[in-house]
Amino acid sequence: MSIWHIAWSYLWNRKLTTAMTIISVGLGVGLISTVETLREETERRFAEEGQAFDLVVGAKGNPLQLVLSTVYFIDTPTGNINWSDYERLLKEEEVKDAFPVSIGDNYAGYRIIGTEAKLFDFPWGSREHSPFELAEGNRFSKPMEAVLGAAAAEGAKLKIGDTFSGAHGLTAGFGAGDHAKTPYTVVGILKRSGTPNDRAIFCDIRSTWMLHAHEDDEADTHEGHNDAAHDPGVTAVLVKLYSPALRFDFKPRVNKTYNAMAAVPVTVIQKLYEQVLGTARMVLMAIGYLVVVISAFSIMIGLYMSILQRKRDLAVMRALGASRGEIFGSVIVEAFWVTVLGLGVGWLFGTVACYVLGAQFAKRVGLYISAVSVTPDLITAYSAVVLVGLVAGILPAWQAYRTDVARDLAEL
Amino acid sequence: MVKLEGVRRKLGPGVQFHCEDFHASEGVQLALWGPSGCGKSTMLNLISGLLRPDSGVIRIDGKEIQGLKEGQLDEFRAQRVGFVFQTFNLLAPFTALQNVLLGMRFADVLPAKEWKPKATEILERVGLGHRLHAKPATLSVGERQRVAIARALANRPKLIVADEPTGSLDPKTSDAVMDLFLELVREKSLTLLLVTHERSIAERLPDLFDCSRLVEEVAS
Repeated sequence: MSIWHIAWSYLWNRKLTTAMTIISVGLGVGLISTVETLREETERRFAEEGQAFDLVVGAKGNPLQLVLSTVYFIDTPTGNINWSDYERLLKEEEVKDAFPVSIGDNYAGYRIIGTEAKLFDFPWGSREHSPFELAEGNRFSKPMEAVLGAAAAEGAKLKIGDTFSGAHGLTAGFGAGDHAKTPYTVVGILKRSGTPNDRAIFCDIRSTWMLHAHEDDEADTHEGHNDAAHDPGVTAVLVKLYSPALRFDFKPRVNKTYNAMAAVPVTVIQKLYEQVLGTARMVLMAIGYLVVVISAFSIMIGLYMSILQRKRDLAVMRALGASRGEIFGSVIVEAFWVTVLGLGVGWLFGTVACYVLGAQFAKRVGLYISAVSVTPDLITAYSAVVLVGLVAGILPAWQAYRTDVARDLAEL
Repeated sequence: MVKLEGVRRKLGPGVQFHCEDFHASEGVQLALWGPSGCGKSTMLNLISGLLRPDSGVIRIDGKEIQGLKEGQLDEFRAQRVGFVFQTFNLLAPFTALQNVLLGMRFADVLPAKEWKPKATEILERVGLGHRLHAKPATLSVGERQRVAIARALANRPKLIVADEPTGSLDPKTSDAVMDLFLELVREKSLTLLLVTHERSIAERLPDLFDCSRLVEEVAS
């Protein structure tokens, strides 16, 4: 019968108190796991998407807004730039390729992204599968043909051959039926990729021009559509340079010589995490650690009370030959059991929380995040929790160590 | 086997335990008899190394124990002494078998592979073969004391100290437990020091030591 078994038996003997303490440790660990995983995973996923293109060029305004709207398909675009800017960008010697993006309409809340079919051939770096891999059908080859992301097809209940009409704006419910006279036909559906593409509808950029021209005829304008007479306009241009190192020279040149703004997606996202989300993360992590420290106190109080209640048991063990070290060790092992089980429960809480929040994140942003990931930061946090738990066991263990055998056997 | 010479231990203000001379030979079954508070339990605690004397010599099996270090005393108790308490002192979270095993694990006298067979054997010997996996709370008081006796004997100690072993039992159970206890002690030729305030229990043992003059007043 090992010291582990002895410690476990005493914990099992007071199941309810033990369970409550384990759950309180678990809540702290769960919060830490969730916050850390969400930070790590969202940052990783955002960076993964952001790395695909070196620059985004769009209307002057907030760079974060520009990046979020054109790379991640969230937030509102900053406005439009001229199509001629896109054509000029293509001729720049640093530019390997560039892709126009036109955003302004939606169908059932899914954004309609006007672009060029060459985007389907874009090499997505280290990614195993392109987010433009088709599950069925073909890519668009002419205006008013649409290729749907997997979630968009599922959510909008559209299949190959179906037709639908876009509406003004980026959210469902506004301007329904605006473009009823010029419907799109579904020609392809993308494989689910865990990227913003899942929630997007892609079409030939000329489709948006056609709709625009039609509206010009009716002397109507709406947000996100360029109304220049001879330039159809484009919301933004996704730019791939010959080398990422060129970003730092090329970006200021665009800002200076174009009537547009260039932003480096990776840098913008890093800034977002450092300046805004970094603080929120610190606050939540601090709350998590606070819960763990409070739990450590409950471990200490629980064990201390338990030691007081079983002074006679400890005295009997000593009378039977247990050394002071064995008694001390068995109490520390009890603290260890509670902490480690708390870690396990916390990990479970974190996994469930990440699953639920991750599903919401995927629904809103289109980026999929995995369950609790074991990052160096989390390993450090878990180690700190175990250490705090063991420290919490020291005072009760010391109390047990000091057992006065004859007095405790006689007293009770 | 057990020898006390000029042993003194302060019990409180103006009161001390004093045993000038005590001797119990190997294999003796001796009742330490006296009224409550006369110092007989103190004497048992001194002999078993649970208390240290302020002065004097305590010799067990030829070895002086009063000067032993804490760890050496732990080892001495584990290997040489078997305890039977009035309130049984079984450990609640553990089964009858585990209680006996715990004693063997702490004493570490026998090879680990022998623990379980020996513990089972001794529990069967005290008539609890069918209650091996019962927890103390589910045992009758008589059964609990029999587990305690099994635990005390499991390590084959030379000396058994029993402090009012039948004090919590009804007369019928008390007789049955005493019968079994004495039978086992004789069977294994162990030295038994049994503390009791009941004359009838004391008289069941071949030898008796009157403890009524062990506590004395001293100038504080």
